[in-house]
Amino acid sequence: MSGIQDFVVLTLVKAAPLIYAALAGVVCERAGILNIALEGQLTIGAFTAVAVSFATGNPVIGLLAGVVAGALVGLLLGVAATRFGVDQIVAGTGINLLALGGAAFGLTVVFGQPGASAEVSALGVPGERGLIVGAFVAALLLHLALYRTPWGLRTRASGENPRAVRSAGIDPRNVRLIATMLGGALAGLGGVYLSLGELDLYSDGMTAGRGFIALAAVIFGRWTPFGATGAALGFGALAALQFVLQRSGVPSELMQALPYLAALAALTGIAGRARAPQADGVPYTE
Amino acid sequence: MTTRGCYGPAAFAILVAFGLTGCGGGGVSKSKATIRLAMVTDVGGLGDKSFNDSAYAGLKRAKTELGADIQVLESKSAADYQPNLSALADENFDEIFAIGFLMNKDLAQVASNHPKGHFAIIDAVVDQPNITSVTFREQDGSFLAGALAARVSKTKTIAFLGGLDIPLLRKFEAGFSAGAHEVDPNVKVLVKYVGSFEDVASGKELAQVLFSQGADIIYAAAGKSGIGAIDEIRSRPSVYLIGVDGDQDGLAPGKILTSVLKRVDVAVFTVAKDILDKKPPKGHLEFGLKDNGVGLTDFQYTKQIIGPKTIAEVRKLRDAIIAGKITPPQTREELANFKPVKL
Repeated sequence: MSGIQDFVVLTLVKAAPLIYAALAGVVCERAGILNIALEGQLTIGAFTAVAVSFATGNPVIGLLAGVVAGALVGLLLGVAATRFGVDQIVAGTGINLLALGGAAFGLTVVFGQPGASAEVSALGVPGERGLIVGAFVAALLLHLALYRTPWGLRTRASGENPRAVRSAGIDPRNVRLIATMLGGALAGLGGVYLSLGELDLYSDGMTAGRGFIALAAVIFGRWTPFGATGAALGFGALAALQFVLQRSGVPSELMQALPYLAALAALTGIAGRARAPQADGVPYTE
Repeated sequence: MTTRGCYGPAAFAILVAFGLTGCGGGGVSKSKATIRLAMVTDVGGLGDKSFNDSAYAGLKRAKTELGADIQVLESKSAADYQPNLSALADENFDEIFAIGFLMNKDLAQVASNHPKGHFAIIDAVVDQPNITSVTFREQDGSFLAGALAARVSKTKTIAFLGGLDIPLLRKFEAGFSAGAHEVDPNVKVLVKYVGSFEDVASGKELAQVLFSQGADIIYAAAGKSGIGAIDEIRSRPSVYLIGVDGDQDGLAPGKILTSVLKRVDVAVFTVAKDILDKKPPKGHLEFGLKDNGVGLTDFQYTKQIIGPKTIAEVRKLRDAIIAGKITPPQTREELANFKPVKL
């Protein structure tokens, strides 16, 4: 097998969950909700999919359950942020901890063992490939939805100037709520990709920080679906390169840190101008 | 802010607190326990089918055979080590096991704050009067695995897949490479590290990379990341894996040649039994091939694939290591200077 082909495939495999999570970050932040709970949404999506596939024997139902569970976690963040005015960073951090603890607890309830689940019926190679293609389709759809529909206009306006949205007779808090649910569903799908697409099990900590790398991809991709997808692909390529070239002189720790350095570069303007949505992370109160 | 707004953060904090309590694990206390033992897992946690589970197996054996009262606290991150250790030290345990070298600094501190308590740490040497340090000669078991892999490999390319690139894992790596070159100097040994003990997906992806680079046997010493590599070999013909720490042979019968056992359970049980027998605690215990602290499984599913000749050869190498004729290297520097020994 050719090395180039391996590298391309590995890049796509590594990038797919990052794309889903990064798109989730984009839709939330464009609506004005800073979603640092991506890691938790990946976790809950991954776990729920495996648990439901185990219970029903049907991985497709597992996939749907993972998406719904992700959306519910998104809703939790949305409600905390828009209805109760909780600081979004605090809420997101709480949800990440809750998700990790909840999945660990769920493992003992559903599988009767801590740490890792049993192997369940999964989506297999066609499912994995389908989900990789799906990530790009999702990016395209989100782009069209954000820039070509009234919903997209309202969503972007809620992230830039929620008062203007209010004066048009729409409650920006509801717009944000819908965005967090959609984001949660996307991140949940990213989790499903990991647990039922690539693998056939859930294991504690298996998301391994992908939610945070996706956050970096959102910034580096300048809060646009295509930008974030490109950044996620770039980070995927870095990870793939690191795997193939390991121990050829470049310290692997440095390669692993590159996504964060890239995000930092984007934020500090080294890699061009990056501006977050004006009302990103700012609670809307009347 | 409206009054309604105040409940939000509070309700949220309660939710989170519930989430956090999920991290603790618990033993049930029995009134008539002979000795009381506790352990703190490393971040891999219970269910890693490997290192932490092995320690837990030793604890459970102490419970059934010695009537010990046992308790386990799981660490979700390195930040949990100290609170977990302190929480246990405040209770009256005869021995508290810190499972994993990463806890060395936290344990040293907790132990000096609790001079009356007694502690044991696995995989690290902490020089303190109330700590027993337990280490293993992983390089010896890995050496045997390397020799076995070199003999079984058809492509004459074998691979080591580690969790984190740290001195402890390099003992596995160096021993494995040396063992392979002991029986066949022309075997190529590829080496990769996942960078995590928990990233199952990356473990699987790296296994794919190693296979496409020509390896047909992977020695996976990567905690839960290794589960991903096991997942990968199931669907591939004529490739094999060597497991680690616990007996992983049954996870993919016939595809896992053997597992390099690191009997943390033997170590934990030995320490527990010494307490019951009122033997004075030791400062440093090292387990190797001789005391069955390290070794290979008995090839339950793979005798046919390995063949009697190789099994006999591995046994000979084992005896040579025990007799001190071969000293497997435990660092990359020692590996570079390692010369195959004529037996």
